[in-house]
Amino acid sequence: MNDELAWVLQAQQGNDEAFTKLVEEHQTHVYNLCYRMLGEPEAAEDAAQESFLRAYQNLHRYDQNRPFVTWLLSITAHYCIDRLRRRKLPVFSIDEENDDGTTFEIADAASPDPEAEAVKREDRERLHVLLKGLDETDRAAVIMRYWYDFSEIEIAESLSLTVSAVKSRLHRSRRALAGMWQEETPRTRTERRPHESPAF
Amino acid sequence: MNHRPFEDWLLNDMPISPEQKRELDSHLRTCSYCAALLETGKALSSVKMVSPAAGFTARFQARLAARKIAERQRRFWGAILFVAGGLAILLWVVGPYLASFFASPATWISALVGWGVFLITTLQAMVQAGSVLLNIVPDFFSPFAWMILLSALAGISLLWSVSIWRFVRVGRGR
Repeated sequence: MNDELAWVLQAQQGNDEAFTKLVEEHQTHVYNLCYRMLGEPEAAEDAAQESFLRAYQNLHRYDQNRPFVTWLLSITAHYCIDRLRRRKLPVFSIDEENDDGTTFEIADAASPDPEAEAVKREDRERLHVLLKGLDETDRAAVIMRYWYDFSEIEIAESLSLTVSAVKSRLHRSRRALAGMWQEETPRTRTERRPHESPAF
Repeated sequence: MNHRPFEDWLLNDMPISPEQKRELDSHLRTCSYCAALLETGKALSSVKMVSPAAGFTARFQARLAARKIAERQRRFWGAILFVAGGLAILLWVVGPYLASFFASPATWISALVGWGVFLITTLQAMVQAGSVLLNIVPDFFSPFAWMILLSALAGISLLWSVSIWRFVRVGRGR
């Protein structure tokens, strides 16, 4: 039995210390999903705390055959989707990232090229802003696919969708993101960065 | 502009041959949409996790403790409300009989016997009405009509059960 399952079992017996270990272990996973979904560090902190509370209250429903993180992120995604539907958030405060000491992107220490890393970072920030243009469920699907490497089956289970619905939502989201990206890309930048396909 | 098959290659991250790569590069020079698709794909493949501010677990513990206290208070006041409501209803139902309860034993014994007789006669009347209905109703419909009626009821029950089961067990494909 691994540590995580042991903590889950102990937490199910009412051991709050064990649940605290689970919080410690998964705080980045949960917080990151909330941050990507809601866009603001304060809202993400609140949503992450609330998601852990919901997990705590529903721990008796956890199926041990399923990875704990998948179950936890499913709760988090549903909570964020509900929250977004209840009230539309005003604007993304991307400028606050790393400035107010509340949100830290995990740095890539192995990066040998600071300029390329800066461009990548700029692209990631643009992407983060563009995510708000997606429907709540589409946003959750994209985040689970690209930030957490979830398979389409895992996304379907987490968001209570069919696998074909997940595929269709991912494709629709990619097209929408490309459309928004295209609208926002200045012509000079396109010329400066010729479109090669190093991904292949 | 026709984006096929380039859009499919980019959306599905399909492995492509050197010849296809040349075709794609040539297409990307003229198609800003597919170029944006490639750039967003690259941005998505280099995403990073963000961590919460230090002390997240301690803040969670504090919130959990506060939630437990609130829950305990909610349960306490809920129980008080439940008991008070129950007592009020009991008093409202029993109130009219309290006076007779404190009357002489003969009075409340005769009231008790009256209630017993009322209950027994009502039950007897219901049993008789039921048996009369059971004798009369089957003659109104032919066996064929009964068969259709029962089949329809069984079908509706099955449909209802399956609907509930699907709603509870299977994710809704939205």
